[in-house]
Order: sequence, then structure tokens, then C-alpha cells
Amino acid sequence: MPQIFTASADTKLRVVVLLLGVGTVGAFLLGGGYVDSAYVTRVGWPRHQPVPFSHKHHVGDDGIDCRYCHDKVEVSSEAGLPPTQTCMTCHSHLYTGAPVLAPVRQSFASGEPIRWNRSAKVPDYVFFNHAIHINRGVPCVTCHGRVDQMALTFQAQPFQMQWCLDCHRNPAPHLRPPEMVTRMDWSDWDPEAHKDFGRLAVMAFGIDPKRLDACTVCHR
Amino acid sequence: MRSGSPHADDADWVRRRLGGRSGRAFWRGLEELSEAPEFKRLLAAEFPSLAQSPADFARRDILKCLGASLALAGLAGCSEDLSHSVPYVEAPETIIPGRPKYYATAALMGGYAQPVLGETHVGRPTKLEGNPDHPACLGATDAFTQAALLGLYDPDRSRSPRYMGRPTAWSGLDAMLVSQATRLDATAGQGFCLLTGATSSPTMGRQLNLLMRRWPQARWYIHEPVSEESRIEAARLVFGRRLEQRLHLDRAEVVVCLDDDVMGPGPKQTYHARGWTKRRQSAQRGEGSCAIWMAEPTPSLTGVMAGRRIIARPDRISTLAAALAARLGMSSEPAPPLGEEERRWIESAAAALDAHRGQCLVAVGSQHAPAVQALGLFINAKLGNIGATLVLAEPSLLQPPDEAATFQDLVQRMKAGEVSSLTILDCNPAYTAPADLDFTGAAERVEMRFHSGLYFDETAALCQWHAPLQHDLETWSDARAVNGLATILQPLIGFSFGGRSRHVMLQNCLGDVFAEARAVVVETWREFWNDAFDEHWNSALVAGFVPDSAPAEIAVQPIVDTAPAVARAARGEGLTVVVKPDPTIWDGRFANLAWLQELPKPLTKVTWDNVILVSPALAEELHIETGNEVRLEVPGRSVAGPAWVMPGQEPRTVTVFLGYGRGPIGRVMEGAGYDAYRIRTVADPWQSGGAGLTRTSKVWQLASTQLHFALEGRDMVRFVPAGDARVDGRHSKKRKVGETRKETIYPVQHYESPSWGLSIDTDLCIGCNACVVACVAENNIPMVGKEQVAMGREMFWLRVDRYYQGPPENPKTVFQPVPCMHCEKAPCEMGCPVNATTHSPDGLNQQVYNRCIGTRTCSSYCPYKVRRFNWFDLTGSDPPEIQALRNPDVTVRDRGVMEKCTYCVQRIRSAEIQAKIDGRPIRDGEIQTACQQACPTSAIVFGDVMDPETVVSRRKTSSRDYSLLEEVNTWPRTTYLARIEDEPPDGGSEKG
Amino acid sequence: MTQDVSIRTASSHSRYAEITQEVVGIPLNYPRWRNWWIAFGIALALLLLFFISAGVLFWRGVGIWGLNIPVNWGIAISNYVWWLGIGHAGTLISAMLLLLNQPWRNALNRFAEAMTLFAVTCAGLYPILHLGRPWRFYWMAPYPSTMNIWPQFRSPLTWDFFAVLTYLTVSVLFWYIGTVPDLAASRDRAKTRFWQVFYGLLALGWRGSAIHWARWRQVYRLTAAIAVPLVVSVHSEISLLFAAGPLPGWNSTVFPPYFVLGAAFSGFAVVSMIAIVLRHAFHLQNLVTVQHLDLLAKLLLATGLMTAYGYVIEIYATYYGGERYELETLWDRFTGAYAFSYWGAIVCNFLPLQLLWLRGARTSPLLLFLISLSVAVGMWFERYMLIVTGLYKDYLPSSWGLYDVSVWEWTLYAGTMGVFFVPFLLLVRFLPMISAFEIKETFYESQTKDRPSVVRPDAERTSGHA
Repeated sequence: MPQIFTASADTKLRVVVLLLGVGTVGAFLLGGGYVDSAYVTRVGWPRHQPVPFSHKHHVGDDGIDCRYCHDKVEVSSEAGLPPTQTCMTCHSHLYTGAPVLAPVRQSFASGEPIRWNRSAKVPDYVFFNHAIHINRGVPCVTCHGRVDQMALTFQAQPFQMQWCLDCHRNPAPHLRPPEMVTRMDWSDWDPEAHKDFGRLAVMAFGIDPKRLDACTVCHR
Repeated sequence: MRSGSPHADDADWVRRRLGGRSGRAFWRGLEELSEAPEFKRLLAAEFPSLAQSPADFARRDILKCLGASLALAGLAGCSEDLSHSVPYVEAPETIIPGRPKYYATAALMGGYAQPVLGETHVGRPTKLEGNPDHPACLGATDAFTQAALLGLYDPDRSRSPRYMGRPTAWSGLDAMLVSQATRLDATAGQGFCLLTGATSSPTMGRQLNLLMRRWPQARWYIHEPVSEESRIEAARLVFGRRLEQRLHLDRAEVVVCLDDDVMGPGPKQTYHARGWTKRRQSAQRGEGSCAIWMAEPTPSLTGVMAGRRIIARPDRISTLAAALAARLGMSSEPAPPLGEEERRWIESAAAALDAHRGQCLVAVGSQHAPAVQALGLFINAKLGNIGATLVLAEPSLLQPPDEAATFQDLVQRMKAGEVSSLTILDCNPAYTAPADLDFTGAAERVEMRFHSGLYFDETAALCQWHAPLQHDLETWSDARAVNGLATILQPLIGFSFGGRSRHVMLQNCLGDVFAEARAVVVETWREFWNDAFDEHWNSALVAGFVPDSAPAEIAVQPIVDTAPAVARAARGEGLTVVVKPDPTIWDGRFANLAWLQELPKPLTKVTWDNVILVSPALAEELHIETGNEVRLEVPGRSVAGPAWVMPGQEPRTVTVFLGYGRGPIGRVMEGAGYDAYRIRTVADPWQSGGAGLTRTSKVWQLASTQLHFALEGRDMVRFVPAGDARVDGRHSKKRKVGETRKETIYPVQHYESPSWGLSIDTDLCIGCNACVVACVAENNIPMVGKEQVAMGREMFWLRVDRYYQGPPENPKTVFQPVPCMHCEKAPCEMGCPVNATTHSPDGLNQQVYNRCIGTRTCSSYCPYKVRRFNWFDLTGSDPPEIQALRNPDVTVRDRGVMEKCTYCVQRIRSAEIQAKIDGRPIRDGEIQTACQQACPTSAIVFGDVMDPETVVSRRKTSSRDYSLLEEVNTWPRTTYLARIEDEPPDGGSEKG
Repeated sequence: MTQDVSIRTASSHSRYAEITQEVVGIPLNYPRWRNWWIAFGIALALLLLFFISAGVLFWRGVGIWGLNIPVNWGIAISNYVWWLGIGHAGTLISAMLLLLNQPWRNALNRFAEAMTLFAVTCAGLYPILHLGRPWRFYWMAPYPSTMNIWPQFRSPLTWDFFAVLTYLTVSVLFWYIGTVPDLAASRDRAKTRFWQVFYGLLALGWRGSAIHWARWRQVYRLTAAIAVPLVVSVHSEISLLFAAGPLPGWNSTVFPPYFVLGAAFSGFAVVSMIAIVLRHAFHLQNLVTVQHLDLLAKLLLATGLMTAYGYVIEIYATYYGGERYELETLWDRFTGAYAFSYWGAIVCNFLPLQLLWLRGARTSPLLLFLISLSVAVGMWFERYMLIVTGLYKDYLPSSWGLYDVSVWEWTLYAGTMGVFFVPFLLLVRFLPMISAFEIKETFYESQTKDRPSVVRPDAERTSGHA
């Protein structure tokens, strides 16, 4: 009876089996990596906007406080985008003819609002409240990143549940003096020197991490 | 949507665009859809197409599109997810996106104002609460008021004027009205008749006076299917003038009801329930008594709460009244012969009344002859109740100037051809008129017919002209609450559904086509306040009522000094028919509101249909089973509907309910129930004798939410003898919370304040369903329709169980609201494989929709079966209006996930956040669950159970406190207070 | 007895070849084309039905089933338990009896294992199909997610997930390892190049050397040793799905043993059915002998009686406990809306079974087949009864409700039959369905040593006592 297989058949079979195994594991790793990738979380991807608004210029260079435009952030669940009105308070005097600002002027004239593309969003089953975070001294930069360095605005953090939980389960290191929440650069804030600030703040505000990671704190 | 329709795909397109899940996302994308060119094209395309397409079909397609058209005002937000954010151009100072605003206004019911606070999110009302400052309701509402919000958003409402059934422009209507006005000016209004529903609006009164003065020959008539008229008439018989009765149940220790459902559904339910609760709670503390005697042919909510209830044929009521008068020595004539049971009942009632002169009340149902009611009033007068428990005052409801101007009179004149132009305002006689009047026939004789109402209804179809009315919550108006206080209605909603206010309509009839609702109302109150207008107007709007505006109480003496004789109806042959307004859709005006259609009727738990109540005895005699169709014959006419065998029903009495059997006026009401108006006569609209009942071969599939009514000797509902209950609340022997708990293998968690719990007092619950609808409105609970309810798939997070105990002839009935128990040892949490239901540190049993994969283990393990499952996608295809109605603070659940009562966690969390920002602890009572807030009897109390001083904690230490199914050892956070036996238990009560 | 005679008269050497030829020959030159195609056609139709039912289910949601609150588990779950139960017998027969050195098993083990495989597959499908959001089923698996959430390990369902998965894997391994030598045999007898390669690849280069045999024996027995305890653990775990719930009629410690025994019971029934059918279809009378049927019947009787004991104990315990809700549920099973399922279970499971006390019944293929069939049906009734009577009336009368099985549930159930039979028929067609070498081994041993075995004329007596 003639040989069906060559002598190397066994080896080949083993290799194939091995590859299959490796492939399966690899597939899972790839999947995990994809879900975590900036491509999915959109971290660092500036979105096209009707007006190329530069936080870098307004916050970084001009030093305008976040709350000048996002004025409801301390009282409402939503920070709120500034009405065209607000833009025009300055731009009725400055860069009055600048072509990039045409949409703003047009909006103000026509009453048609500017439709911005949202660059930081959470799913609609997540109920995030700006006011309480601001009032407890979670600085803007924690979630929104160094907008003062963003020529075009992009999402700075993945906004995954694990990322939220990191803070909700251990808030102390993330707290700052509430009156300074809009400050962007905390590099001089030496973690060692201010080690006990967080601890004290947690005590002062009676923040109880045990209660902070209850599901209904964010999902209702 | 039928295929091939030119609008079909358009409407689909709208639905697709508007098909977003998230109520929260709603407002974020204002103007989005309105900008879409397809949409503009679509709207443009729709309107011409209206004309040629047959009205009925067109209506359905169009309403969707028209509904979408209010996207122009911002509904578009429903369309896409969160990918855009659109700020204002000029931010309104008062509106803070993300925070609700509350406006005080009122919803109308039978002409009366039901004072409410409307919660609005950027110009979009999402919830109505009772106005806590208003003495008539003290923050409570009834089911109708809760559902009024849905009425505002109802996609089937009429949206444009019509001529000959076809949509037309307002200009055409205005032209017609102006020309008519000029013609009437010439003839001093000859042949012009105005027909309205009952109203208490001062502005309406002012306008009508104007109209009368301008056109002396014109006539104004009122038609209200369920009216207070006979009560007022009764007062006239006794006191010589038309007077309104206001019951002060809070002062009445003894109430003897002769077939008067004082706490039953209707405009006065909240007011009466509020008063009764005050009394009942004092009685619970041992201060005085709170006892109800009831004689009635068919079970009612008041009868359920009555300690002494006897079953009496309607024609016995007059006899009983006379007997009562005789027994109290107020009538010259001898006491009529009584049955043994009746005699004992009268004896005890009379004794009680006698013992509580000035603190008691005799109430006779308004469906009985004015003479009989008059006798009741006379007895009250003699007992010194007038001014104490029974206050008389000028009627709040407006009256036509001449007494003769009754609805019958109108129809006679129409038949006689004396009416050349009939204007019908907010009233649907074609459907609700007594059958023997033949209103429809009479209408043919009127050449010019104009109808204005919320829907393009039966009456609208009779008229050449129709104009859509604005909803009460959508416009400026005013009205009086049941206690006479006037409320100024202001619009809650930031955009209009394309109708006009009834005041504007009236002005238009007067030829003033440029009238503007607010101006008309302001004018009225300028006259009222004169120079002080400005200071009062705003405060009145803020307060939600005009202080001291109620018609003053009037002290009068009876003009008769002996009890008015009552004609004793001789016992007629055959059965007696009792007609009642439906407990959930009233006279039919709410027929298109799914919240009320699917709301289980308090006593039968039937949804989506009205039934014919027959007694067990009669059912046996005629071999009728629940669900069999029966034909009810009264002299001259008959109606067929599904039978319901009703325990506690008078053997020879059959009860029918109004409001059903309507045509395709709206998608919701279509094809539900039978039309009881068809057997209603002018002579006796509420009860008639000599009826016959036959069983047909047909069987109706009734959708009842409760299939089993017997307590089965189980102790879900407990009773304590009145004596033991005397000690209560703080005065009781202190009881540690959960001292009845057994061992558990799971680690016991210790909770710190705040930790939430609920207490439900079954002794106060009158089963009115207000809590259920409030829960639906607050939590975006979808309605599933008759078939699904019949399958046992209703979605209510809170249900009111109803149990019978004792003999079916006259059982004791008990109500038990059942929300989630929020067990500390919750079986559901143990069952869920993915941590979708877990326990929060503050004692809540949390349900996380976005984590749920739908294994349904939690529900299998739940001993209380309070969990609800999204068997299909129940929300995706909702029309835009319904999406606009949703509460933005509550996730709209998707297909395949479990949901349940959350103790309104969204309210808890926002209160917590506010308290933290203010740096203070949460106050007791600061957080109210939706059910608690609506409850007119304060049966439900929510709060921190770890703080011994809160109301809920004190309740839980009461000797009446018990947990449902203690033996299962789930340690529920929702506990109950046992019901107190007024009387020695005649049904054999459970252990207390 | 004729086949015994023939066997003895045959010269032993040619007999080995015969056995191999008889077994391996079936796939190689298939005897029964027409019947096979008919059977396969029906099975395919059922499989198609399965895909349709599942498709509609995914498209519209579980609402298309007759479920409601309170009865929110229906025949989806009862079929799950039923299929898994059937699966267990395969493992029992081949693994346990292998470890117990019961050589007669060799005629049955291969297709019993195959049966296990596909039964478990059907069972495994149900928990996913019945989910509200099936596309999220993987949340039951523990993996490091960006949500920082893990499965809830107190939940019986979480353990179901592991149990079924483990069981499936082990069954596949056990079956495959067992087949390797026969695959090699098929390879060597295959005519065409394609089949040579096909069997060759599957045979993993088996050459039948002494080392191969030694290794193989190790692995095979080891896998068996793993498989056997699984039978007990898996179905005990399944029973917790109910026993862990606080409902009257569910919350009982009797469940685990009760379920395991029931599983073996229904499984043996199905094994007998399949054995009888194959035996008849391929004239394997001298491989699957009357003695095999006799032994199967005895097993069936034994497990049946144990199951019956479970029933008795349950009733006894309920009355002994005297807990009112338990009593009412029990009474409701006797007389309530679903009494048919209870009495159906009692009748189908235990009445015909009693015939098996008679040797005549045990050795009559037809009778045994019918009795087994009735048992399979009876056990289905039992699963149905356990789930529905537990749910439809629990504590609060207000929430009692009835459950009617919808068309789509029936079609899905029929569909799973397709899921079972299509691969099974393919197996029958293309792989050796009886373990040739093990039969030979047995035969060899019977030739040399004096041990009870299939082919001894006195086999029936000795193995009867074995």
C-alpha cells in the first residue's frame, strides 16, 4: 500500500495545530486591543467644526476662564455651550471681518444656531453631572485634558467605565481646591507635598467612596 | 401604515429620523431636523396631499408628519444620538439646560381646575405634580390629572382647521366667522346657539356676558355628561337658591353615604380623599372616629373603605333616606317598611349620626332624584352640619342666564328648526347626548354647524367646520378648583400643536380674529384687580391660584321645616341598570390616552375595555361567566358588552360604564369596549328599571392584570382590631425595625444613614390608581396594548393588588399597592449572572438596564413578581410627541432588558447632589417618590429608615407595621401598615 | 443466539478482520443509501426550521414566545435541562463503564459518545437563545473588560456557563481520542485518495505501534476519569438553577441527585433507542447483541427506580416539612392547571418501565424501544412540570398567571432535533460508529482469558450478574 503522507506530515500537522492555537489567542488580544484603542475611544482625534475654534488661543493665550463660556457648569448637570451672543461680546469688536468667524456672525444675524460637533460624549445611559464634580474640586483638566494646548479640540480621556471608576473608588488623589477647578496646569502641584489635601478634602466633604461606585450613581 | 401610500415612506423617514432612544438627548439637537431639506420637502408635500386623500387614512399618515412638524420647535433632538450639540443663539435668562423648571397651572376636569405644578425641561413639560400650596389638593393629584400631560402630547389630536372634513387654512375659518358675526349683529344673534361643556372660567363668563349683551337673541347651553347639576338643584329645593356643596370630610367623624361615591373617581376625588385622610389619620391616633356607612347597589371605592356596607337596590335609596329621616325624628310621616339588614344598618347609622351632630355627614349620590338629595341636605341641616362638614356657596360652575336653557331645550329648538347656527365648544354631544334625544338627527336641521375641540371627533364629523382647540396645559386660561379658588392657567410648553385657546375661539366667534389668549385672560383679571393688577398677576401665577377668590361660604336655613317627601320608586319588574362614568377614561374624553386605557380599573383590574357588572347570583341564574357577551335590553334600546361577575353587586342590578365603543377618532381608543350612551335616556340618565339581560354566543377576550382575587387565606393584607390600632406612630410600643427577621447565610450588611425605605398604609389606600399613573409618567413606562396585557406582560412598576375576603355576595375588599420591595436580602441579586441587579450602599436594589442581558433569573427568583421585562422593542417606534414627553432623567429601556421600581432613584440622586452642593444633609420629605407625591391619601411615605426621626421610620415602629411575605426572609425595605377594622370583622379577618 | 454460534465457529483470525470490516465497512462502502438520504433529508429540514425559528427570535425578541410575568422561563429552559440530561448517559456508558472494566460497553460507547456531543450542543444553544439580548451573552464569561465588571459568581447561571462549556470540551476530547485508532483503520481501508487523506488527517498519523497504544490507553482512561465526575457535577449544578430560587417547589435540597439520576435515566433511554435503530438498520446484531439490550434495559430500570424514589422523597419531604406554600405547590402539581405534565411524567416514566422486570421485554428490541421512547417523553414532561408549576403560582395570588407554549417555541424545539440528527447522521455515514478495535480486544480477551464477555455463550447469565 503506497504511503498516503510524506514523512514530514506529522510535523506539518503539529505546526498547523500550533498556529491555530496562537491564532485564537492572538485574535482575542487583537479584539481587546481594538476596543481599547484610541480609534474606538476617539481620544486625541480632533473633530471637524463649523468654526475652527481654538481653546489654545482663548484659554492658553488669552487666559479666558472656562466659566466665561461654559457658564452653567457650576449649577447644572450640563456645562452648556456658549450662545452665539457670548462669542459676539468680543467678536463684535475683535476680528470683526475674519472669514473664519463668518459662521458666527451669520448665526447671530440669522438666529440659526451654530451646530458644533460634540468632541466629548458619554453614552445616553450614563448620567454625568458637571455641577457636583466642579463643586467637589475635580478640575476640568482631569476629564477634558489640557484644552489650553489644543488648537483643535479633541477628547482627552477614553471615558470608559473603568476610567470613571478609578476616581470614584479612590477620589482623594484627584481632588483639587474647588476654587481652582478651572486651572489647567497642575505640574507644580507636587503629589508628595499635597498628599494629605485629598485625604482632608474627602473628610471635609464627607465623600464616601463606598457610595460613589453604586451603579445608580451614574446609571438610572 | 398602508403600503403604497405616497406618505408611507415619508412618515417612515420621519420615524427613522426621530427614532432615537434617548429622552436625555432630546433637547440637545434643536433645529436639527427642521434644517433637513428632506423634512421641509416632506411637510410641503403633506399639506396639498391632505385634500385629495380620504380623511381617515390621511389623518393617520398626516398626524405622524404633523407631529413631526413640531420638530420645528425642537423635537428633532430625538433624532440623533449625542453627536451634535447646538447652543442657543441668545440664551434665555431663566432657562438652565439640564435643570427642570416648575410652573404652576391647572388641568381641567369637568369644568373644574385641578391645580398642578408642571415640570418642564427647556420648554418641554415632562411631569405634572399637584400644587402643594393649593388647599384643594395639597400636592396630590388623581389619575386623570397625571394623564393630562399625555393628552397634551397626544399625536392624534386635531392639528388644523377643517371644512367638510378636509384640512383647510385658518384664514378660511376666520373669514367664515367674521361674516357670521356681521350677519348676527344684524339679527341680534337670532338663531345663534352656543353649546359648551361645563366651565368655571371667569374669563369665559366675561366673554359670554359680552356675547349675550351683543346678541340678545343668542342662546348659550351647557352639556356635561357627568354633571353636578342635580346637586345644585337639590340645594335649591331645600334652601331656595342654587348652591354648590363642599364636603369637609376632615371634620366628619361619621359619614353616611346613600349610594354616593364621595371618594370615587371624578373632579372632587382628590379634594375629598385629602379631607378623609386628615380625619382617618386623627382617628388612627385615637382622636375621634372616622367611620363610613354605605348603602349602594354596586361596589365603589368609598364602599370599599366603608366599615358598614349594605347592598341596596337603587330604588331603595330614597326609602332608606326617608327611613333615616324618620328614625332621626325629622319627618312627620311614618318610617317606611325595611328589611332586617336595612333596619339594623339604619339603626346604627342614625345612632352614630345622632351622637356626632355637627361632626357628621349624610351624602346622597348625585345620580338620584334631586328630591332624594334634598332630603339628605335637610337631614344635614337638622344635624347642624351646614357650615361645619357641609359648606354651601355660590356655584363655581357657570350657569346659563335663563334656567330653561337646558340641553334638551336646545335639541328641541334644533328639531323645530329655530337654530340656524350652532357653535359647539369643547363638547362632544354627538357621542355623549342621551340616545333618545337624537342629537345627530336634530343637527341635520341646523344649517351652520361649527365645532371646536381637541379631537376631530364624532361631533366634529357632524359639522361643516372644525377648529382644533389648544390643550389646557398649552394655553392661557383660568378656572376654579373644587373649593372655588380660581387658578390662572399658563402654557407649560414652549411650542404649540397648532390649535387655538377656547377664549380665542370665542373671540373669533365675536368677529375678533386677532384675539390673543393671554390678552383675553389678562383683561378679565384687570377688571378683577383694577389698579392692583400688576402686583397680583405675577404672584397669582407663581402661587398657582388667586388667594381669596373662592365664592364665599353662605349660611342659609332650609326654607322647608319638614323633610321633603320623596317619591318612593315602586319596585319595577326586571333588572335595574346603573350607569357610571368609567373609572379611568371618565365620560370618554380620555379614551385616546393609553395611560388611562391600560390603567387597570380599580375594582375589576380590567384594561382597554368597559364591562357590564352582574352579580354572582344573576350570573349563576343566567349561566353567565366573566367574558361572555351579554345583551342588555332596556325599553326601546339595547347594548351588548362583556359581562363581569362582580362580588358585592346587588343581585338584580346591572352596572354599565360610559366612555367606550368609539370609532377611529384616535389610534388608541379604536375598537375598545361598548358604548353605554346608547341606552341612556333624558328621563333617567343614571338608572333605569325594567331591563333584561340575555347571553349571546360571543366571548370577549378581556385583558385583566389580576387573574386571582382571593386572599387564599394568606396574610398579604393584615387587619388589626380598632382597639389595638389606637396606639400608633410614636406613641406605640417601640418596635425595632426588622425584629421579625430570621437567620440568613449571607453576610449581614450594616447600613448608615441615609438609607432608603418605603411604608405603605393599607388603612389609607383607597385604590384610586393615582400612584400608578404618576409612576408611568415619571419613569417613561411604555404601554403595551390589550393583547400583551392579556398575555400578562403589562409594564407597570407599581401595581395595586385587590383582594376579596369573605362571601362573594358581599365580601370585604382590600387594596395593596405593590412596588419593588428593595429587599436587603434580594433573591434577584443572587440570581443575576452579570451583576445587572445589585444592592447600593444606601439600601436600594439597583437595576442597571445597560448591563442586563435578559436571563430573567431575577424575575423568576422574585417572590413578589414586581419585575417587568421588555419582551419586544416597546419604545423605538414611538411618535415624536411621545418621545418629547419622556423624562430626560430616566433611561428609556431597550428590548430584552428587565426593569422595575427604583424608588425613583433619579430623584434621590439629584436631591443628594443638590444637598452636597449646598453642604447640608438631605431633609426628611425632601425626596418624594412619584407615587408618594401623587397619593391623595398619604398612604405612601418614603424616607431614610436609618434615621429614627423620619416619618417613615416612625411608621415602621408602629405596631401595625409588617413585611410582605416575612417567611421568605428577604428583609424588604418596603413595608406595610395593617388595615384597621372599624367594625367587628364580618369577613373573618386575618391575624393582625 | 445464532450470531454467538457463528462467532465461535469462525476462525478467530478471520473474525478480527470480519469485525473491522463490519464496522469500518459501513462508512467506506455505505450499505443503506436510500434510508440514509431520507433520514438525512428530514434532519436537514428540521435544521432549517431551527435557523428560521432562531432568526425570527433574534429579529423580534423573546416576546414571540408565550412567556410572561410570572412564567418568564418556558420550554426553552426545560428543553435545555432535558437535552443536557440525555447527554449524560453517553458519558456514563462509555467513561464510567470503561473505568469499571465493563467490556460489553464497547459495542455502545462510540455512538453513545456522539449522542452526548450533539445533545450537549443542543442544550448549550438554549441558554443563549432565551436571552433578552443574546448578542451580549459573552458578558457571562469572566474576562478583563473596560467596565471593570466580572460575572456574579453567586449566580447558578454563571456556573451553568462553565459547566456546559467544560462538559462540551471534555466530551469532544473523549470521543475523538476514542475514535483515533478506528480512523486509522478506515484510513488504511479507504479506496480513494480523498478519503485516505480525510481519515489520515483525523487519525493523527496513528500507526498502532505499542507506544501509540500505551500512550493512547493512558490518555483515554485519564479523560474518562475526568469525564465521569463531570456528569455528576454538571447536572447537580443545573439543578441549582432552580434549587437556588426561593420559590415553593424549587427551593429543595433533593434537586441535585434527583436531576442527575433523571438525566442518566433519560439518557439511557435514548441510548437504547439509538442502539436498537442502528442495530436494525445496519444488521449489527452480532455486535450489539441481545445481551447489550438486556444490560441497557437493566440500567434503565435501575435509574428509573432511583428517579421514582426521588419523586417519593420529594412528596415525603414536602409533607414532612409541612411548609404551607410548598404544600400548596405540590397539591397544585397534582391538580392544578399543569397537572397533565405531572401525571404525564409519572405515567410515561414509570408504568411501561415495569415491564422491564421481565426478561422477555428486556430482550425484545421493539418493546425496549417503545419503553425508552415513553421514558424520553416522560422526562420531558418532568422538566416542563418542574419549571412551569414552580413559576405560575408562587406567593402572591395577585401575580399568578398562566403560560401557553407558542408556535415559535415548538418550532425551535423541533429545530434542535435537526441540530442533533444532522451531525449524528453524518457521523454514522462517514465515521466508524462502533469501536472496532475495542470489540476485537474484547473478542481477543474472550478467546484467551476466561472472562465474561459479549461473545461467550453463557454471557447472558454471567453478565447478568456482573
